[in-house]
Amino acid sequence: MRHLLQLVVLWFAFASSVTALETDLSSHKIEIRYSFKGAELILFGAVGHFDGDIEGDFDVVVVVRGPNTAAVVRQKARINGIWINDEQVTFPEAPGYYAVAASRPVNDIAASEILAEQGIGFDNLTLDVVADEGLKGSIPSFREALYRIREKAGLYRQEKDMVAMRGEELFRTDVRLPANVPVGSFLVDAFIFQEGQVLAKNRVELVVDKEGFERAAYTFAHAYPFLYGLTAVLIALGVGWIVGVVGKK
Amino acid sequence: MPLYLPIAELSMNVFLVIGMGWIVGFLSGMFGVGGGFLMTPLLIFVGVPPTVAVATQSNQITAASVTGALAHWRRQGVDVKMGLVLIAGGAVGSYFGAQLFTFLRSLGQVDLMISLAYVLFLGSVGGLMFWESVRAIWRTHRGYVPPPIPREDRHKAWIHALPFKMRFRKSRLYISVLLPLAIGMFVGVLAAIMGVGGGFVMVPAMIYLLGMPTNVVIGTSLFQIIFVTALTTIFHSVNTQTVDIFLAILLLIGGVAGAQIGARIGLKMKGEMLRALLAGLVLVVCFRMGYELVAEPEELYSVYDVKTPIVEAAP
Repeated sequence: MRHLLQLVVLWFAFASSVTALETDLSSHKIEIRYSFKGAELILFGAVGHFDGDIEGDFDVVVVVRGPNTAAVVRQKARINGIWINDEQVTFPEAPGYYAVAASRPVNDIAASEILAEQGIGFDNLTLDVVADEGLKGSIPSFREALYRIREKAGLYRQEKDMVAMRGEELFRTDVRLPANVPVGSFLVDAFIFQEGQVLAKNRVELVVDKEGFERAAYTFAHAYPFLYGLTAVLIALGVGWIVGVVGKK
Repeated sequence: MPLYLPIAELSMNVFLVIGMGWIVGFLSGMFGVGGGFLMTPLLIFVGVPPTVAVATQSNQITAASVTGALAHWRRQGVDVKMGLVLIAGGAVGSYFGAQLFTFLRSLGQVDLMISLAYVLFLGSVGGLMFWESVRAIWRTHRGYVPPPIPREDRHKAWIHALPFKMRFRKSRLYISVLLPLAIGMFVGVLAAIMGVGGGFVMVPAMIYLLGMPTNVVIGTSLFQIIFVTALTTIFHSVNTQTVDIFLAILLLIGGVAGAQIGARIGLKMKGEMLRALLAGLVLVVCFRMGYELVAEPEELYSVYDVKTPIVEAAP
């Protein structure tokens, strides 16, 4: 009998935790064209319960993750009086873009273990490291440098963007992509937290790609580098010749 | 008006780029130099990655040299035979320079090499030029006329001792082919690693080492620069994919306009005055690059994205 009671309690607890979360972006594809100077997207979200409204206060955290690429972090050192790139550490799978937006400071929303589990915040990015043997510098200092430099470039963001609540169940936040955003697929994860626990998750995808002329030029340069170089030379020869002939008159 | 540059992968203001082209074009028109040594540092200064700056600059110099060489060609100011020998040397030099560039890029030391090369060559050439022009200004001031050097004494003994002599009719020379080959090769290396035409090294070498008559020196050097920078552009395109055609075209547009005006102003100025100004400019660029090397940087770390080479476009 006691077991049954426990089961019933558990069932209710489970059922009440079935919170529905729906999110969508104002655009699912960002096209980098000649006039591209960054993009701003809006993420909308709606929270609901299987039997009506969500009860009590809740928090929203949105994490945007760009494609992973290898990043080499180099440290300069003074050697013979000049500053030279000395030691280096490679992060083979560093996200090219990473942003966290939240309805209030994430450390107030959940305990650090929970945040770590979900990969929320710079400190919880689990990055593999490849370093030379006998590295003098500390790996955390290289990792911090990666965060600092990318943050300055607008590629990594945290504690900057707010998730704004719109009424009881609706929220929105801005996703800001700088002009130097990497191309590839982005994952936009939204989390609903209540009392420090994850109630619901939802993921939408975003694609950033060079389009039209920019894509053509980039592909041409990388897929047919010899022809690209030849084209560049022919254009230069043509322009120089035209200027020379016109300038004479 | 921002423009996204697909190879440099950054967004730049079109008017800023054209304006930079104009200023460098103006100065190069005024002084009669290629301007690569000004443009490459300027591009790096405004945030273009050094590798893209150097490679793109080669492409722009090709165009500027065609225009210049055409004008000299009309005046019979190109020694084609000498030019071809210099090109042969330049092709080899440019190939090895581009290889060195690619190798150092993989080590993360290409920026250092660019800076060191600038400090070394601009410092020495600028210093010599400055000394020479100040002395000339001083002498004109005092009314001193240096005695002319007889034509037969132009070459040092070791130059006459070199084998494989060849006759260059236009330059009225009979010298070993090894010398222009070596000069061309050296300039080819500089073109590949510094993003310059190399005229600032080649012209003095042609006058003082080869003893070429001054009326064919500039034309022949421009003739060589066309081909060597064209090759360099192709080498960089194949090795590192760092040539940005759009950036090059924008710089050209500004450069063409600036050069016309600069040339007109340059004609009104005295030769030694121009050289002194140019030397000053060269030294400023040299000090600027040198300062970056010795001053403690604000940010000790740097991040490089390692791009996986794409073979095909994303679907």
